[in-house]
Amino acid sequence: MASYDLTSRIAPHLDRHLVFPLLEFLQERQFYPDDQILKAKIELLSKTNMVDYAMDIHKSLYHTEDVPQDMVDRRVEVVARLKSLEESAAPLVGFLQNPSLVQELRPDKQYNLQMLKDRFQIGAEQIEALYQYAKFQFECGNYSGAADYLYQYRALCTNSDRSLSALWGKLAAEILMQNWDVALEELNRLKEIIDSKNFASPLNQLQNRIWLMHWSLFIFFNHENGRNGIIDLFFQDRYLNAIQTNAHHLLRYVATAVIVNKRRRNMLKELIKVIQQEQHSYRDPITEFLECLYVNYDFDGAQKKLRECEDVILNDPFLGKQVEDPNFSTVPLRDEFLENARLFIFETYCRIHQCIDIGVLAEKLNLKYEEAEGWIVNLVRNAKLDAKVDSKSGTLVMEPNHLNVYEQIIENTKQLSMRTYMLAKNVVESAPPAAQTAR
Amino acid sequence: MASRFWGQGDSDTEDEEERSEYGEGTEAGVGGGEASGAATGSRYLQTNASDSEDSDGQRRVVRSAKDKRFEEMSATVDQMKNAMKINDWVSLQESFDKINKQLEKVIRVTESEKAPNLYIKALVMLEDFLAQALANKDAKKKMSSSNAKALNSMKQKLKKNNKQFEDVINKYREKPESEEDGDGDEPSDGEEDDDDDGEFVEDPTKIGSLSDSGSDGEDEDEDNQAEAGGGWEKKMSKKDKLMDKQFMKDPSEITWDTVDKKLKEIVAARGRKGTGRVEQVEQLTFLTRVAKTPAQKLEILFSVVSAQFDVNPSLSGHMPINVWKKCIQNMLIILDILEQYPNIVVDDSVEPEENESQKGADYKGTIHVWGNLVAFIERMDIEYFKSLQCIDPHTREYVERLRDEPMFVVLAQNVQNYFERIGDFKAAAKVALRLVELVYYKPQEVYDAMRNLSEQRTDGTEDGENGDLEADEEPHVVEENRGPPSFVVTPELVPRRPTFPENSRTLMDELVSLIYKYGDERTKARAMLCDIYHHAILDEFSTARDLLLMSHLQDGVQHMDISTQILFNRAMAQLGLCAFRVSLITEAHGCLSELYAGGRVKELLAQGVSQNRYYEKTPEQEKLERRRQMPYHMHVNLELLEAVHLTCAMLLEVANMAANTHDAKHKVISKTFRRLLEVSERQTFTGPPENVRDHVMAATRALTKGDFQKAFDVIKSLDVWKLLRNKDNVLEMLKSKIKEEALRTYLLTYASSYDSLSITQLTAMFDISEAHAHSIVSKMMITEELHASWDQPTRCIAFHNVEHSRLQNLAFQLTEKLSVLVESNERAFEARTGGGLDGLPPRRREGQDYAGAATGKWQDNFLSQGRQSGYGGRSGYVTGGRFQNSGQAQGGFSKDRMGQQGLRGTGGRYQDAYGSGVGRTPYQMGSSMRSQTDASARMVSLNKAGRVQ
Repeated sequence: MASYDLTSRIAPHLDRHLVFPLLEFLQERQFYPDDQILKAKIELLSKTNMVDYAMDIHKSLYHTEDVPQDMVDRRVEVVARLKSLEESAAPLVGFLQNPSLVQELRPDKQYNLQMLKDRFQIGAEQIEALYQYAKFQFECGNYSGAADYLYQYRALCTNSDRSLSALWGKLAAEILMQNWDVALEELNRLKEIIDSKNFASPLNQLQNRIWLMHWSLFIFFNHENGRNGIIDLFFQDRYLNAIQTNAHHLLRYVATAVIVNKRRRNMLKELIKVIQQEQHSYRDPITEFLECLYVNYDFDGAQKKLRECEDVILNDPFLGKQVEDPNFSTVPLRDEFLENARLFIFETYCRIHQCIDIGVLAEKLNLKYEEAEGWIVNLVRNAKLDAKVDSKSGTLVMEPNHLNVYEQIIENTKQLSMRTYMLAKNVVESAPPAAQTAR
Repeated sequence: MASRFWGQGDSDTEDEEERSEYGEGTEAGVGGGEASGAATGSRYLQTNASDSEDSDGQRRVVRSAKDKRFEEMSATVDQMKNAMKINDWVSLQESFDKINKQLEKVIRVTESEKAPNLYIKALVMLEDFLAQALANKDAKKKMSSSNAKALNSMKQKLKKNNKQFEDVINKYREKPESEEDGDGDEPSDGEEDDDDDGEFVEDPTKIGSLSDSGSDGEDEDEDNQAEAGGGWEKKMSKKDKLMDKQFMKDPSEITWDTVDKKLKEIVAARGRKGTGRVEQVEQLTFLTRVAKTPAQKLEILFSVVSAQFDVNPSLSGHMPINVWKKCIQNMLIILDILEQYPNIVVDDSVEPEENESQKGADYKGTIHVWGNLVAFIERMDIEYFKSLQCIDPHTREYVERLRDEPMFVVLAQNVQNYFERIGDFKAAAKVALRLVELVYYKPQEVYDAMRNLSEQRTDGTEDGENGDLEADEEPHVVEENRGPPSFVVTPELVPRRPTFPENSRTLMDELVSLIYKYGDERTKARAMLCDIYHHAILDEFSTARDLLLMSHLQDGVQHMDISTQILFNRAMAQLGLCAFRVSLITEAHGCLSELYAGGRVKELLAQGVSQNRYYEKTPEQEKLERRRQMPYHMHVNLELLEAVHLTCAMLLEVANMAANTHDAKHKVISKTFRRLLEVSERQTFTGPPENVRDHVMAATRALTKGDFQKAFDVIKSLDVWKLLRNKDNVLEMLKSKIKEEALRTYLLTYASSYDSLSITQLTAMFDISEAHAHSIVSKMMITEELHASWDQPTRCIAFHNVEHSRLQNLAFQLTEKLSVLVESNERAFEARTGGGLDGLPPRRREGQDYAGAATGKWQDNFLSQGRQSGYGGRSGYVTGGRFQNSGQAQGGFSKDRMGQQGLRGTGGRYQDAYGSGVGRTPYQMGSSMRSQTDASARMVSLNKAGRVQ
């Protein structure tokens, strides 16, 4: 199953801290030997300031109480640096912690800067120090503090590059604190900046988009409205292009989102096109399932893939999120996915058949005969399906639904008159100005 | 004979007397007043003389019909005589020039090496007179200034001139007239006097000593006189030896100045009339050995290489191969020097200072030497290419020539390394492109062969390749032993063997990434095309396709130079073949159909000249076209290409025709194929297939009836398939495709005759697996090509038979046309009101071009235009692709390849306009299939989405 593990492909696009949840998940699922994961964690932590945590892991990894000297040294160093940064940022932090003073800030940035300078002797250096302090807090794992400071910093910062980094930091902090609503806001803000900003090179911009998409996975698969969000975001031309150029593995998440989201069926065609184009560079059971079903119409193959999909979903850190109930734990996404995928198969199957044996259908749907019959009857009753069950022979008979020729022609020509009318109207309307310009 | 005649018949002695008399007379004091009298007198005398001359001439004409030339010459001689009589050196000088010119003509006419005796005699006469005049110092003083000047220059000229004919003159003096002997001694003395006052000597017949003294004189002359320059030429053209000796005389005396001066002289003579190109090379080569400083040697080597380039003056011919090889060696030496002395900088932007190259090997600062290595390399490559163009590919010579490729590769690699070392990556990229263009068309096998060859070469260099070089260099070596050893010895520092990585792809990747990073626009585009080509050869279709689409090359290619366009066509052709091999029929057809649309494949691929029935090419055009032909070994096999194209067209078109029987024109996938089919259907008798076309047509006939076996057999019997790599797999794939299409065609054609059809029967009929058949039929049902549905319990296809009547069909067509009309009206309106349809005008223009092409009326440089129109259509399929609006994101392709291309702001819009099928030009109407798919952005020849919907 490890072959479908995308962690190694996703991780390079994430912040160091964001990789932790993924590693936690892997540890939980026991794909890899524990000590490998622990080592990876230490490796990760080595560049951050979470030295205590690294020490803990080290202890559990080697089952010792000893800690390597460099970690101890590093700890001292980190603490010292924290102190110094705290000091340099102190004036501004002090100011910001006083609510009455904060009240005096106005939306006008220039005014604020001027005021801070005049009244509190807080200049650019202090503001810069605030940023460094916030970053350091983040590195230490104090995400809430970092998020707060970064928020304040953004209000005062004039450097747009810095502001962008601050935004990234804020987003990471919010994600790590699992404040999905706030994170989503930040995400949208960031997206706006990325799309509007003139990057030095398109490459840079692309890279930013790809990061954004990766980070957004955390949000979209946890936020309640995330499933619409992911489709909205990922199907934008620019982002779809980014996926196709450099992040093919994201197709898994797009595909899952489309399958799960009943209201976004219309995206399916486009998705399949993309999957087809990229099949040489990326494929996993989920995309193959769609391919089987909509390109090859191979229902048995689709069935097989569906079983693999289940594994993939369970083992994916984003998709396989478990909901713990007191009695049992489920993976809600998996259930939804299977349900919808089944519906897909069934629908397509019905479209090309006029008569289906319910027994076969039950088999195809992974259901028992009675269950299948009940399921079908429900569908028929909900008028999603124009069909009748012939219970004597145990078949489902589809009603042929061919549009009458005349209806078709009427349908085709109906909008023509409207369009022509509009055209004529437009011509008349624009005639005077056009005539003027001609003169 | 003639000399006899002239010698006797002439009044030489008389003249002598007369002259002396006359000369005395004038000297005696013919005043200004009598000058005219003297002139008349002279004229009188002349007529006397010329009387006899004339009669001589007439006799000669009658007798031997020698030539007018001799007459002319003798007339000039007479003039000279007259001038001598009046001591008029100015006119004498003119006559002397004239006679020299005439001499050339005479020699040309008589086709003999020797100068005619008449001329020699005139020379002797002049010499004598000159000696006399110089001896007579008083008279000299009395001369007018212009006359004296003329006398002096005459002295110089004559001396130089006579050296050429020394032997003959001496012979003449000795032999023909005994009475002249006495004279002969005198002038020779006199000559000695001229040469060097006070140096009395030796036997005048000894050339060595003469030349020695002459050269001494020259050395002085050089300093004093501007005209002296000519002397070197003469002497050297006479024999290189002379110069050799001169330098050999005392190597220590040779200074930087002498060498530099000489170099300048030789270079100045370049391109002048009468300068032997080969000789110049030899002279310069000699100079390289006596060069004083490395920088100077470098300078001279550059001149040598340029001179070698000059050896072949014509634009269409190629440089002689041995010269080419020597040139390579010289270039390598240049690189050796540059390697050895990193402080020497080659530059062509600044004119270096006068004495820059004087700085010796121990000079530490940078030395600038004028030169352009990139240009040299490019020229070498061009010459190599040209030689391959010219040599008949079926001869051994061609193969031999191909073996020289590693030599060039060595050079190019070394130059590239050099540029990389000095940090001139732009130039390095240019050189890398040359290498890329040598490698890109080679499949792995050929590449391996080349690698082996070069390795063998280097093992056997000493006896093998150097063997022939040795032969050439033998004389040099000898001379070198004899002459002074090279002052600047250059050890072989740069590697003399090319380095080839195991895999051609590795090499390509290395070079190409360098180019993408540093190359200019054209270099990058070309490298990209080569890259695409190479990927296609290696069956990496998707990579090649992505490169092509992301680079936006299709949009801009019609603005590029023709050779790049040809490269583009080659890449497209190869891409098509590649798509076919990996069984992507639609894509293959998309790539190839454009090439075949105009019926000028040969021309488009530059693999031969196709005749145009309606239009004769001018010779210039033909020449141009011939110059851009691909050498034979780079050809894409046209027969294979045609087979692939037609097979693809057949696979796509047969079912399509079956589906649209009502109006054949409705949806045409391949116009070419349709036309061919029509032609073959018109034939009264269809014989057994002979060429590719016949085969495919025969297969088509079988396929229309659903007879897959016969269709496949016919196709399989084509010979060209053996050119395919993994032929068996491809044929297997072809078979299954043919089966599929047969099944589809059968169902579409006979659907109305069935009420239901069991799948087992279908599988039996088409020898196809049940799952496969099920998949195909299901697909047809979903896309509503086939109005039927499965009856699962009985495993049958139940046909609905909702066949429309003819009237209903027509009604459908009408509605479709109506909606097209409305759409185009809307577009027209938008275009009028400026709806941002920038793409419209160019599209329209292209469309017209195309129309012109179709009727064969256009006259201009059709190659580029024709292609332009072709691409007009082709951009259609960029549009369908996913990259159309992504001006921004493209740039980010991981390898940084597209950086520059992605950001063309207008690109997106332009394509958008296309994508929405703006401007229904005649072209589009012609193939409405394309425009339709265009409009729905669904066609995508290069994207596989074709049948998803």
